[in-house]
Amino acid sequence: MQYEARFLRQIHKDLLETRLLEEKLCDLYAQGRVPGHVHSGVGQEATYVGVLSTRQPGDYFKLTHRPISMPWMLGTDLDMFFGELLAKKTGNSGGRGGSLHIGELRTGVLGMSGTLGCDTGVAVGAALTIDYEQRPNVSYMFMGDGTSSRGPVYEAMNLAAAWKLPVLFICENNGFAISTPASSTIPVPNALADRAAGYGMPSEVADGTDVLDVYRAAKKMSDYVRAGNGPAVLECKDYRWRGHFEGDQCAYRDAEVTKEWVENHDCVKNLEAMLLKEGVVTEAELAAMRAGFDEQMETAIAHAEAAPAMTAEEIFDGLYA
Amino acid sequence: MSKKITFSKALREGLHEEMVRDENVFIIGEDMAVMGNVFGVTTGFLDEFGPNRVIDTPISEEGFCGMAVGAAMRGLRPVVELMYNDFITVAADPIFNQAAKTRYMTGGQATVPMVLRCPMGAGRRNAGHHSQSLEALFCHFPGLKVIAPSCAEDAKGLIKSAIRDDDPVVSLENKLLYAKKEEIPEEEYLIPLGKAKVKREGKDLTLITWSRQVNFAMEAAENLAAEGIDVEVLDLRSLVPLDWEAIAASVSKTHNVLIVSEEVKRGSYAGELSAQIAEELFDELDAPVERLCGLNIVSPFSPVLEDENFPHPETIAKAVKHVLNK
Repeated sequence: MQYEARFLRQIHKDLLETRLLEEKLCDLYAQGRVPGHVHSGVGQEATYVGVLSTRQPGDYFKLTHRPISMPWMLGTDLDMFFGELLAKKTGNSGGRGGSLHIGELRTGVLGMSGTLGCDTGVAVGAALTIDYEQRPNVSYMFMGDGTSSRGPVYEAMNLAAAWKLPVLFICENNGFAISTPASSTIPVPNALADRAAGYGMPSEVADGTDVLDVYRAAKKMSDYVRAGNGPAVLECKDYRWRGHFEGDQCAYRDAEVTKEWVENHDCVKNLEAMLLKEGVVTEAELAAMRAGFDEQMETAIAHAEAAPAMTAEEIFDGLYA
Repeated sequence: MSKKITFSKALREGLHEEMVRDENVFIIGEDMAVMGNVFGVTTGFLDEFGPNRVIDTPISEEGFCGMAVGAAMRGLRPVVELMYNDFITVAADPIFNQAAKTRYMTGGQATVPMVLRCPMGAGRRNAGHHSQSLEALFCHFPGLKVIAPSCAEDAKGLIKSAIRDDDPVVSLENKLLYAKKEEIPEEEYLIPLGKAKVKREGKDLTLITWSRQVNFAMEAAENLAAEGIDVEVLDLRSLVPLDWEAIAASVSKTHNVLIVSEEVKRGSYAGELSAQIAEELFDELDAPVERLCGLNIVSPFSPVLEDENFPHPETIAKAVKHVLNK
């Protein structure tokens, strides 16, 4: 086997916990326990977990609204995570930013933007800091295939390439921008990877439902960027299992296709089958992990539900101008 | 004859009638065709009008807003949907520099008969990038007309007039109005741009507002009537052009003014109205013009904070009493 058991167990743990968090968010939303909307990333965990498994201390991350659970893997604790989702004082912004805007700077997370792609320059700017301080770090810029159609992405990619800044642009291509298939709006098969050549960047395309394939490609690209060669592009192909938002019935697409992806390209199920076959984990261990993490989540949710919300009198706290 | 339908269905009827009437009218935006719009406004349009007239775009707001300007300059009548008015920040130049200025800067050689539909407003726990009310931005640029209907009847009548207008019109549609069911006329009708409507006559104070706040203002006015305070509610319907005659007539009758909007108060269009009234109608006023708006704050995610961030019937009633020193 290519990877050590310890590495495989860690990447599986991250993958599974991300899955369980995403599923829990759907449940909480269905029960009316979270305000606003939930953009579920169930089924798309491998891209993020595979890429982020290449991270080093001091790296920066620009995440997206799907999966929104990634801050946990990067070091935001569950009390704070659920605190923000439930709009409580214990959240990272005290409930000011909410589910689309979870980010704890201490962990290198630079936040997310509700206006898609507008923060690509922010990721490149963080890379300018890395370059300025001559650190061997990477700024990871995640986006979806939908965002790859935004103009600011290309200004930022051009700048990063012209100035050889350490940015890894990651496109998680799930095939849909809300209802619109990438095939009808993007003229190339690989939304971002095929455009990399225009900026002189190398690119890789990985199977976004296979966490080890993602890791392989991400390692290659992030090593290239980390070594000071300039930016690169990684594109991971997967599929959005659920609606754009919870409650979206997906009437605009073929349910049979969705079913095929869910049944045959489940990144958690497939990895676990391999790990069981190779004897890296046992069924009992897997069951214990699920139960243990569920208990951790429920404890954190109970804490969040018991935590105070900000009061109306505090609305201006944190505003400076 | 009248019928009861939702605000979004009324809009849908208006769009539908204009598309049937004029084959140069087409719809363009994100999720408008196959999905029929995230708010359901264009459900069924793709089947009826086909993909040339109901166009799904990628997430490229600056691109497709610019395309609408070009198509409009050369004879088509695009109706663009921006999903959230907040996204005007990413499509600012095509609207503020191209759409708004082309007719003037070409000496009238080209007009831009496009409509930009912008769902707006807070209350859905969507936080600071999806909850703003940006009237002031849209109204700032000479060359843009701006409508902000408060009810189903006006939504339909105004969108039809907007489509027929030869200049760019921005339609600000409060998201929380979409599901509201109201009576509208059965037969075809238009509501002209630039005409306000007195929703409730009164003699003590002129309450100027638009969009969702009209409902809150009416509720406040009814409650105040029980206390002997007679409020006139003036629904602007169009922010640009402004129905100054209606404002002047009402203020000259009541001599007291409160302006209510969901905007951030600082730099709001409500502030512009206040200044105009102070400049032009000073002699008619018994008290300073006051504004009740959103707070000077980033629209918060937290329900507790978000609800604090726009006027409610109770706060409106309080503000009316403040103007009247009661």
